[in-house]
Amino acid sequence: MQIPIERFSLDNGMRVVLSQDHAVPLVALNVWYDVGSRNEAPGKTGLAHLFEHMMFQGSQNVPGTGHIAGVERVGGTVNGTTWLDRTNYYETVPSSELELALWLESDRLGWYLPALTQEKLDNQRSVVKNERRQRVDNQPYGDWDERIQMLLFPPDHPYHHPVIGSMVDLDAASLEDVADFFRTYYAPNNAVLTIAGDFDRDEAKRLVEKHFGPIPHGPPIPPIPGRTEVPPRLGGEVRERIAGEVPLARVYAAYRIARYGQPEFYVAEVCSELLAGGKSARLYDALVRERRAAQSVGAFTFPTMTGAAALVVRGNGIDADGDALERELLAQVEAFRAAEPTAEEMERALTGIEARQVMSLQKLAERADQISMFTSHFDDPGLVNRELDLFRAVTAADVHRFAREALGAGNRAVLTYVPAAAEAA
Amino acid sequence: MTAAVPFDRSRRPAPGPLRPYHFPAVQRRTLSNGLQLAVVEARSFPVVTVGLVLPSGALAEPEGKDGVASLTTALLESGAGSRNAAEIALVVDGLGLSMDSWASWDVSEASFTCLRARADEGMAVLADMVLRPTFPDDEVARLRAQRVTSLAQARGEAGGVAGEFAGLYVFGRESRYGRPMGGTAASVSGIGRDDVAAFHAAHYRPAGSTLFAAGDVSLDELAALAERHFGAWSGTPPPHAPPPPSPERAATRIVVADRPGAVQSAIRLSHPAPGRGTPDYFPMIVLNSVVGGNFSSRINMNLRERLGYTYGAHSAFGLRRTSGIFMVSTAVQTEVTAPSVAEILRDLREVREAEVTEAELADARTFLSGSFPLPMQTTDGLAAKLEALIVNGLPDDYFSSYRERVMEVTAADVLAAARAHLWPDRAVVIVAGDGARVGPQLEALGLGTVEVVDPASVLE
Repeated sequence: MQIPIERFSLDNGMRVVLSQDHAVPLVALNVWYDVGSRNEAPGKTGLAHLFEHMMFQGSQNVPGTGHIAGVERVGGTVNGTTWLDRTNYYETVPSSELELALWLESDRLGWYLPALTQEKLDNQRSVVKNERRQRVDNQPYGDWDERIQMLLFPPDHPYHHPVIGSMVDLDAASLEDVADFFRTYYAPNNAVLTIAGDFDRDEAKRLVEKHFGPIPHGPPIPPIPGRTEVPPRLGGEVRERIAGEVPLARVYAAYRIARYGQPEFYVAEVCSELLAGGKSARLYDALVRERRAAQSVGAFTFPTMTGAAALVVRGNGIDADGDALERELLAQVEAFRAAEPTAEEMERALTGIEARQVMSLQKLAERADQISMFTSHFDDPGLVNRELDLFRAVTAADVHRFAREALGAGNRAVLTYVPAAAEAA
Repeated sequence: MTAAVPFDRSRRPAPGPLRPYHFPAVQRRTLSNGLQLAVVEARSFPVVTVGLVLPSGALAEPEGKDGVASLTTALLESGAGSRNAAEIALVVDGLGLSMDSWASWDVSEASFTCLRARADEGMAVLADMVLRPTFPDDEVARLRAQRVTSLAQARGEAGGVAGEFAGLYVFGRESRYGRPMGGTAASVSGIGRDDVAAFHAAHYRPAGSTLFAAGDVSLDELAALAERHFGAWSGTPPPHAPPPPSPERAATRIVVADRPGAVQSAIRLSHPAPGRGTPDYFPMIVLNSVVGGNFSSRINMNLRERLGYTYGAHSAFGLRRTSGIFMVSTAVQTEVTAPSVAEILRDLREVREAEVTEAELADARTFLSGSFPLPMQTTDGLAAKLEALIVNGLPDDYFSSYRERVMEVTAADVLAAARAHLWPDRAVVIVAGDGARVGPQLEALGLGTVEVVDPASVLE
């Protein structure tokens, strides 16, 4: 399987990647802006995400919530997400509506500010505060990722604060903050546009030029605030124990690792597969099936670019006993560190990684998002076809060396949740 | 690049030529043992999704054995043929299968997606699981405990409690729909290996079952695999149990599932709805698009974009084979709980009073017809459509006329569907939130007594 890739740039610096596939009459558009919560200054947390919401509140030629309505009206899907390093916006539409999607995306990049109002900001601030309540404050374990970020990264590192921001900072965000954020980061030279699916190549190029070409190149992007360089190891163990409104114990063990794109990152990713990639993986086999110490387990990486990345291992408890769960989980990680994985384990892990990659690339939206990511992070859209080779290059010896060196108490943040009721008893 | 030509940005670009989408033909065959086969081909990726639909689910469970259907499907990977659970996991992961098995109210299913080259070996595992499960005692005990834990997990979340309350208060504890599909701690503790084995022996039979595949596979290929792996299977399951009746109520009832200190309230407004085979299906999905199915629907535009009370609100008709449930779902900040309920009720009443606008009707129809091909990008998505035909007994040409039937729906049809199938004044409104704060607010709506209930006192 080979994903076709054709890339070019507009005079305004916008990078564009086309990837044709005529199987279904759909086309996916995806825009990555190289800005995320890492770009927020102290006191302005949550601004990148709040801004993403404001991008759906209209532009000069697309009033109100016309962007979403315009896509839904033709049967498309549309959304945007904000994360540490980036913000993405995407829609999948019938292929006959490619130009509609280009018009909508370009209007809010080129003709955004005239439509910005205080009323819209106040409404979306309220929506985002409810998003925070729903996903974080009123959700058992809902703050795990922000707590892990705080434990793994120092206060002056841009990953220390939560993507969704604090209620205080959200309340303080002004219309001028929003406009400034737009002027600073939303420029064609800070964006990647990917189009995947059923389109005519020449027509697509003409339409991209027509809609995005007139938008001027923006000013230079300012450096990321704070200390962006951190060592790839924590240099000790940090722990946090939360007695809260949770029904059962849960433990997260997080490790600081080399950032996404470094060889070590791929080793860590293979480790996550070996630990919890399937029901034959170490943690599931030992903790869920054999010892019945956990309800479920997980292991995954944060594929981040600024200074370092993270490998997270999770155990969901079967009762309120967080200490026992923590002991069991860490004992399995220790066992994993003790010896090289077998050749069969390595083979299964690779099979799992490959199978999931093929399945996920069936979706045009996922394909477009990955291409935008590879282009934005590495200036290399072809990695969508070659990244599997980087996984295949990982050996059992690499895994063993990495596990011994990086997955011990000298590089570990342990976050344990226990039910407040059990703690009090 | 050529220079950009100026154009009028204020006008939405005209659509280009519309390329038709044809749902692939459903190809069928029946094996001599009664097992039906169904295939839709899609060859763009070397991937195939295979599934087996067995004709019995939670509604077929014996009295007092709530959860046995779900437990049976969960145990299929716990030992089968000559392999124990760990050995099955080694094979499944070694082949890169994403294997899953589950029960719904109507059916039990097992399914996997894999690279085409692994389909034969995948089918061998599936056949072992379905035909030759061993149900080891220790795995029965483990998965019973898992069920209890996952129920505790779900009840820890506002949405989980609200959902369970909705089933209970809409259908009542005497109805199977009123009790959790996977069973409760009390019910699963009364299920032993013998109960699981008996459910399996009675219901895992080829007659009435369908083995289906979507993706890089032909009917001949599936038939050869089916003969090899399922050819020796035999038997007929008992007939379907009659579905539980759908109770109706005279007035809307508000129940608060008390979560002291909660900063948000999870709201579920719900009432019974017809089954998937209803002749009103197309007007109902257009209606739902207007009311709450999409971002741009009335309820979300009102509660989120106008009022800022929530991160999102939506509605859905959850239609099972013989009956269904309508539900509006949202989570709102505690202070505005009662106003949110009032707004939802108003939106539902209004759509019963007057025809939807021409623009709303047009948008809903083009949304539904335009979005129809979206799931067909993946073998999973195609398989889900095929599964819907099988589970609900819909005709094979159903999806080839789907878009035309959506486009035929009129504003009068939508109004009739709203009057027949939306019951704002005979609904159950569940609010999982801080009872002390939301109780008085909700009382002030004047919709009768608001019951504030400790979840632990009613959930078994």
